[in-house]
Amino acid sequence: MILTAGGKTDQGLVRANNEDHIYLSERLGLVAVADGIGGRTSGETASKQAVKALSDYFKKGSQTISPFDSSYSETTNRLNAAVMLANRSVYEKAQSSPELNGMGTTLAAAVLKGNQLSFAHIGDSRIYLVRSGSIEQLTEDHSLVQEQIRFDWSNKNAPERSVVKNVLTRAVGINSDVHADLGELTVLQGDILLLCSDGLHNMVSDEEMLEIISRAGNVHAACEILIDMANDNGGQDNISAIVGYIHQEKWYSSWSTFMNAFRR
Amino acid sequence: MAKILLKYKDAVVQEIVLDKGIVGIGRKPDNSIIIDNQAVSGHHAIIEAERSELFVEDLQSLNGTFLNGQRITRAELFNKDVILIGVHALEIVSDKDRLSDPNAAGGRGRSMYETVVITPEEQKKIILAASKAIPDVLGGFLVIQGSSDHKDYVFREKVSTIGKEKGSVIRLRGFFAPKRAALVNRRKEGYFISPTGSKTVKVNGDAIDRRYDLKDGDIVDIGRLKLQFYIKEFHVKPSA
Repeated sequence: MILTAGGKTDQGLVRANNEDHIYLSERLGLVAVADGIGGRTSGETASKQAVKALSDYFKKGSQTISPFDSSYSETTNRLNAAVMLANRSVYEKAQSSPELNGMGTTLAAAVLKGNQLSFAHIGDSRIYLVRSGSIEQLTEDHSLVQEQIRFDWSNKNAPERSVVKNVLTRAVGINSDVHADLGELTVLQGDILLLCSDGLHNMVSDEEMLEIISRAGNVHAACEILIDMANDNGGQDNISAIVGYIHQEKWYSSWSTFMNAFRR
Repeated sequence: MAKILLKYKDAVVQEIVLDKGIVGIGRKPDNSIIIDNQAVSGHHAIIEAERSELFVEDLQSLNGTFLNGQRITRAELFNKDVILIGVHALEIVSDKDRLSDPNAAGGRGRSMYETVVITPEEQKKIILAASKAIPDVLGGFLVIQGSSDHKDYVFREKVSTIGKEKGSVIRLRGFFAPKRAALVNRRKEGYFISPTGSKTVKVNGDAIDRRYDLKDGDIVDIGRLKLQFYIKEFHVKPSA
């Protein structure tokens, strides 16, 4: 299986800067969204650093895995290692200067290898799967509201009941160590992935996302429309979206990759 | 008179009027409120009426009793309080309102959209409590009739498929078998199945046209394959 992906990040209408960062590489089958937390520009620094550390790991083809969890595949273990390294690098940077102290970021990332998708997340950036006309959230937010839903005493349809809306229970870079939630999925021809920051999923409902993604003709149009809709609904936060189509490799695709290499 | 609303996923399952002194809550049949769930202890907690006051007391249950999100051993109850036992919520309806709690205002005054992270200590408490209280369901299908690669399929992934196409957990065979017949979603609270193709999917003899929440023992017919859904385990996740 191969990945065709597009992504966009937008400041929104209220915030003074954009603290989100995204990364995508069709060649590596890697997609990631990070939403920074912290005063002034430190949130921006944190999300940028996390995405850089994560993508560097895969770009370099690093094999460092520690500790190895035998219940997950090699790729999932590598992704976990990359997230832990990203955490460490944001944490060290945060300790290095008083302006950056206390900064952190969410991180949601997925890697496609063969017909297996590995995914990991920390915080409230999400990964969704669209398959056969239905949408399923693959990740569970590490936020106080979500923990309340898990307790069942708050209602998913009324998260505004919670006094503290955007409190994360986990983030990258806050502590020297962090625990990422991991997952694996067998992908099928026609599956669509969506990675997004809370600026999207707080403003646009799951049903609306499904509708947009199913109708948009290509990955770039899907991202544009999703972000426009979040802004139309208030654009209260920075908005990021990555949409990835998963499809079978065509017999001629290796040939076109070969030709593309010459064109550059 | 005060009463308790036993809720599961926002639906009121049972309404209990507090007309006697002590109401027992637990898995065993001698309780007044029986919650048949692995996360609930045999005798989990009691609710006690003393003159005009109501109290909840945890009977040293394994997974704890939570009042408005906090683990308690004994506490007074007020109107609209929510007790959490396992994945069930008990909402109190009484004429005594809780005086406004100064601690609850801690998050106010902040921008609704500003994201903050809570301290590691609080975090640990919440994660521990949450992961203890929530069972993680694991289930699958047994093949009762028809030909297939295996007799028993465990559905571990969040979204799986049944069909002829490669990557399906249960691979259908035969020329007329649909590429993709059904999706099976696994969530914390359980599994559901939805038909995706033109092929009829039957549950307990009736064709379904939308999401169906699977229960232990349900019989699913897809083409010539007859499957039985089963819950393998309700494992309480180890603490993070």
